[in-house]
Amino acid sequence: MLLAQILLNGVLLGGLYGLMALGMALVWGVLNIVNLAHGAFVMLGGYCVYFIFTGLGIDPFAALPFAFLAIFVLGYLLQRYVLNLIVRSAQLNTLLITFGLDVVLTYLAQLAFTADFRTINPSYAGANVTLFGLTLPLLRFAAFVAALLFAALLWVILQRTRLGRAIRATAQNLTAARLYGVDPAQLYALTFGLGVGLAGAAGGLYGMVAQVTPYIGATLTAKSFVITIIGGLENPFGIVLGGIVIGIIEALASIYIGATFTDAISFGLLLIILIVRPMRGLRTA
Amino acid sequence: MLRWVVPALCVIALAALPLTGNDVLVQYGIDALLFATLAQAWNILGGFTGYVSFGNSSFYGLGTYGTAIAMAQLHWPFGVGLALGAFLAVACAVLFGIPILRLRGHYFAIATLGLSATLAAIIANLNISGKNIGLILPLTRADNAFYEEALILLIAATATVAWIAKSRFGTALLAIREDEDAALVMGINTTRYKIAALALSAFFTSIAGGIHAYWITFVDPAGSFDLTLNVRMIIMAMFGGPGTVYGPLIGAFTLSAVYDVLASSISTAAALLFGIVIVLAVIFMPRGLWDLARGFRQDGVRYFLQNIRANRL
Amino acid sequence: MSAVPLLQAKELTKHFHGLLAINSVSFDLQQGEMLGLIGPNGAGKTTLISLISGTLPADGGSLFFEGNPIDRLPPYARAHLGIGRTFQVTKPFPRLTVLENVAVGSLFGLNGGVHDLKEARAQARKLLEFTGLAHRADQQGDQLGGPDRKRLELAKALALRPKLLLLDEVMAGLNPSEIDEVVAIVKKIRDGGTSILVIEHVMRAIRSLSDRIIVLHHGEMLAQGEPNAILADPRVIDAYLGKRRA
Repeated sequence: MLLAQILLNGVLLGGLYGLMALGMALVWGVLNIVNLAHGAFVMLGGYCVYFIFTGLGIDPFAALPFAFLAIFVLGYLLQRYVLNLIVRSAQLNTLLITFGLDVVLTYLAQLAFTADFRTINPSYAGANVTLFGLTLPLLRFAAFVAALLFAALLWVILQRTRLGRAIRATAQNLTAARLYGVDPAQLYALTFGLGVGLAGAAGGLYGMVAQVTPYIGATLTAKSFVITIIGGLENPFGIVLGGIVIGIIEALASIYIGATFTDAISFGLLLIILIVRPMRGLRTA
Repeated sequence: MLRWVVPALCVIALAALPLTGNDVLVQYGIDALLFATLAQAWNILGGFTGYVSFGNSSFYGLGTYGTAIAMAQLHWPFGVGLALGAFLAVACAVLFGIPILRLRGHYFAIATLGLSATLAAIIANLNISGKNIGLILPLTRADNAFYEEALILLIAATATVAWIAKSRFGTALLAIREDEDAALVMGINTTRYKIAALALSAFFTSIAGGIHAYWITFVDPAGSFDLTLNVRMIIMAMFGGPGTVYGPLIGAFTLSAVYDVLASSISTAAALLFGIVIVLAVIFMPRGLWDLARGFRQDGVRYFLQNIRANRL
Repeated sequence: MSAVPLLQAKELTKHFHGLLAINSVSFDLQQGEMLGLIGPNGAGKTTLISLISGTLPADGGSLFFEGNPIDRLPPYARAHLGIGRTFQVTKPFPRLTVLENVAVGSLFGLNGGVHDLKEARAQARKLLEFTGLAHRADQQGDQLGGPDRKRLELAKALALRPKLLLLDEVMAGLNPSEIDEVVAIVKKIRDGGTSILVIEHVMRAIRSLSDRIIVLHHGEMLAQGEPNAILADPRVIDAYLGKRRA
């Protein structure tokens, strides 16, 4: 296959990954919660869109906002009534509780949806366009564009709305934000909801290009980590770019090296980045 | 003096277990003892410094493969195999620790996530480790020998943790956990102590892996470098009581029992319940069973509310 | 007093994301001296202390302790040499007892500290008495109130047996009689041979604690000299915008 084609495939997939990682980065950057259940929310978003599409016949892209909303509400409630209870606890505890949540969500999904593979297959799924000798699968391209749109939406919310300002203030200094009238419980819940909502939207897109099962969460969480570290917590563009980098690496690896090494390569990259370019506040001595 | 009575009695009771002649119990016992060692070993870094390692499954894997390669490929005795596994694991811990333990808290945790996957991929491609198929170890003697060996290993690991808890070394680890910036200005070379703790952790973990490998006479990359193993040892240590001497043991023994009972019934409901237990435990008893016992005796039900009040937003 | 100053700072510079927090600051601190460091909020005083203790790396300039360069040394190595500091926002080890908090300093302080736990605890106990915390020895670090936290910060730094003690606003939030107590303690520390760099806003304390004063403003050295002259200097008064606290 032409190198350019591989790169194109990688970029298209990567946009989706970037959106997925944005959700994790938001929660991590603002709430200082590393969400090990992140992939589970992606998975649930995928199921949402799948069922809206197959059950109600609504176009998957039109279903995305509903999936986003549904997962947003779920995330809001979880943060407000469960996670807010342990927020000031040691780091390890947030890792553990989100791990527990991941187990609960995965197995609830298994009970509710069975382990069958699901794909979201709209009628235009097979359509291609040829551009400069490269095949551009329309569905994947649309998914890529949708991912970028959601990312832009996040940017707009963060930069131009009151809520976004409050979120950014809280990320910098919770105490100061409190003094300005920010209600932390509400804000944390909204931010978490927003973060996992984006994950859910990414899940809906993921279901269009790959298969959804209850178990896809773990790998997607790991992928989101790697992308978040590569992109850095401060910079949303960096994260989308990081997603594209991972997408390209995966595309290259699956053709030239084989699937076994894909994980190892991503993590190898992660290790290198952590060692060579530690983020602010990262080092001890 | 009295402090030693209960532990001594427990050791005697455990050591005498094989005398019951119940094979299933012995096998369950080996599993439980090895898991207790894994939890205790993880506790050395995780409980005392607060640094969460998802890389202990790597050390476990290196321990299994060290033993397997030594015995199956090189025809060396078991003891040498264990030593090889331990050497590989400790070397890995130090080499990995030097660059990565300079990072804080959750960055370290994430970095360790990748270690297992990377090592598994490497092992799966080497001839000496049997590539993806794995290795078969020589078949051997009765389970009782493994049981006693696992018990001795657990005692050694626990004795080490007991020493750490009362030593200058342990004080440094605790200071790192409590406030790493303050520890630095108070003269503690934090990176060096973290590496030492990781190396100790790797040592005991790898020996447990070696014993397990010889016991089930089989190793393969997927089973040896299984991340869920790491998660289980973390949960056991945390559930029992991180940073304490007996907490991880209690966590390991109780959760092993729970896990086995649940697994024999409906497995999805069991896993679901497990997840819910974890969530509730983090909310209501974040310091583990050991602290729960102490706190409940002191304050009764208010202990749970105190925990929430201390940790909520 | 020896000829070589205990601490020499030469053109120290520090940026944060393009913001120049410390700009080419130079000063000496002599053996046995008490140097006051004042300046309005945001002047960079705590940053300067962090550069000396090694908590933050400098971006330019050099630091000498007892005549030797220490720029490349991490904080723990500087503690071994004899530099101790308190934190403005106190950092007790929350779940260690007050005694254990201080014992950490004895165990890892000057020249690597002592290796015997009993000895460390004995030293710690003496320091708790010296700072008036003996009755709280078995309480957990995070259970102390404001003034006691400040005392604990001080005791921890003293446990390092420092040759140079960096005090960052140890009097903040204390009432006048508590301030007098701390001033007396600090004077006793100096009389014991320790050199001290004191950051303070409480002017009455600074007056009685300083042999000399240096003034930082917007990260730059504004003035240095004898206390009465400095505190009457119109530039210094302007820098504080006329807000003087007695």
